[in-house]
Amino acid sequence: MTAVQPPYPGEPLPPERGLTRDERGRDISEAQAEAEAERSKWKQFLHMMSPKLVWSMAEGYPVVLKQFIQFCLILIYPAWVFAVLVGGLFQLLFYVTVYPLLWLLFWPVRAYQKKNNPEEYAANRAKYKKNPKG
Amino acid sequence: MGLFSRHGGAKVVVSPTNVAPRQTVTATVTTDKAIDEVRSARLDWGYSNFYQYHWAGRVDSVAAQGNDTIWTMDQVGTNYGGDRDTDDWVSVIAEDIPIAASEFTGVSSTFKIPSWAPASSPSIARWECRLTVDRGGRDIDTNGEFTVVIGTADVEAYVEPLEVVSGAAETVIDIALSSPVHRAGETITGQVTLTPTMDLPDGDLAVSWQRDRESHPLTRAPGPGTELDGPIVTLGKRIPLRAGVPVVLPFEIPLPADAAPTAAAVHSSINWFVQARMMYAGFTGHMLERVRRPIVVVNAP
Repeated sequence: MTAVQPPYPGEPLPPERGLTRDERGRDISEAQAEAEAERSKWKQFLHMMSPKLVWSMAEGYPVVLKQFIQFCLILIYPAWVFAVLVGGLFQLLFYVTVYPLLWLLFWPVRAYQKKNNPEEYAANRAKYKKNPKG
Repeated sequence: MGLFSRHGGAKVVVSPTNVAPRQTVTATVTTDKAIDEVRSARLDWGYSNFYQYHWAGRVDSVAAQGNDTIWTMDQVGTNYGGDRDTDDWVSVIAEDIPIAASEFTGVSSTFKIPSWAPASSPSIARWECRLTVDRGGRDIDTNGEFTVVIGTADVEAYVEPLEVVSGAAETVIDIALSSPVHRAGETITGQVTLTPTMDLPDGDLAVSWQRDRESHPLTRAPGPGTELDGPIVTLGKRIPLRAGVPVVLPFEIPLPADAAPTAAAVHSSINWFVQARMMYAGFTGHMLERVRRPIVVVNAP
């Protein structure tokens, strides 16, 4: 900002400042980065259940506390797997039941957009199109 | 002098107590009686820097993401209550005091406030002169405080570019200010110019000041930073927006008298802005427009 000026002769140099949260980027564990790098939804889903990822949530805590959190994470691991499975099931259920209904319901809207705003429609299609692997 | 007090009969007095950058302050250390068994003594000029940090754990872990959904807000994850306030000492100049015959009776020292010094405020810095005496008996650790105020002449003033925060820029909003530097307690005057790029529904325009405090610690994980918006000043509820017809609206925003001046320290900084936001009438799918222009706030003439 404007308050920072080049130092005048004979005065100490301004000390270096650190980085903000935005400047540092996302703060995640290695296991989570691996899971997020996965492109396929199915593999991402499998990664979410991996014990390594659940275990990594205790990272960055001081000793004793970290071991205690790891202990708790082991205890809740079956519940975690169950929750991820149920979540996946609900998502599947949504795509089988509600999604086709919505797709049908919004057919006229899409048809209208395709006819009257073809450029916007194409751009939107490209946005949601599945990226080819790699 | 309490049981755990480390003042040990030494006192640091800094004069003058209110100083601007590039001025000189003098610290005078006096003792009730000569302090013996002294191994070394040093004076440290600098500031306590206040900032926010994330105390432990990963900020963006899977479970912490659960914190962001509405129905599990702040209930799940291992990060609950993880951002804390703290302060760290930033030393500018430290000097060793020569000790003769293991005895310390007092000293005086001068310090020229650097031009880049962050202004004193409860959210950024508290300037101090610290005395530390290492001795055979109980060590002595005491300090004298002083306040650094920033005046208009201490900052480089130039108009900074406008930032578009949100919106589709269907109306080009420009904020013109009478001056890029303002003193705490003063009224910011300026004008907003709206230039619609097409015929748009009526606009609702308001302006306010915004204070942005960022934490950027050197080693610890930084806290999220805080944005504080001032009370809004409504400039118009139904402003007609016709393509290419500019609308000029003058405004006045009072700054709080105790506003913390713009400052950049090692672990945190404060930036000020004048922001304008505009909403369009009705449910027409036009997005809220928000722009802001950086200003510099000072607290001395």
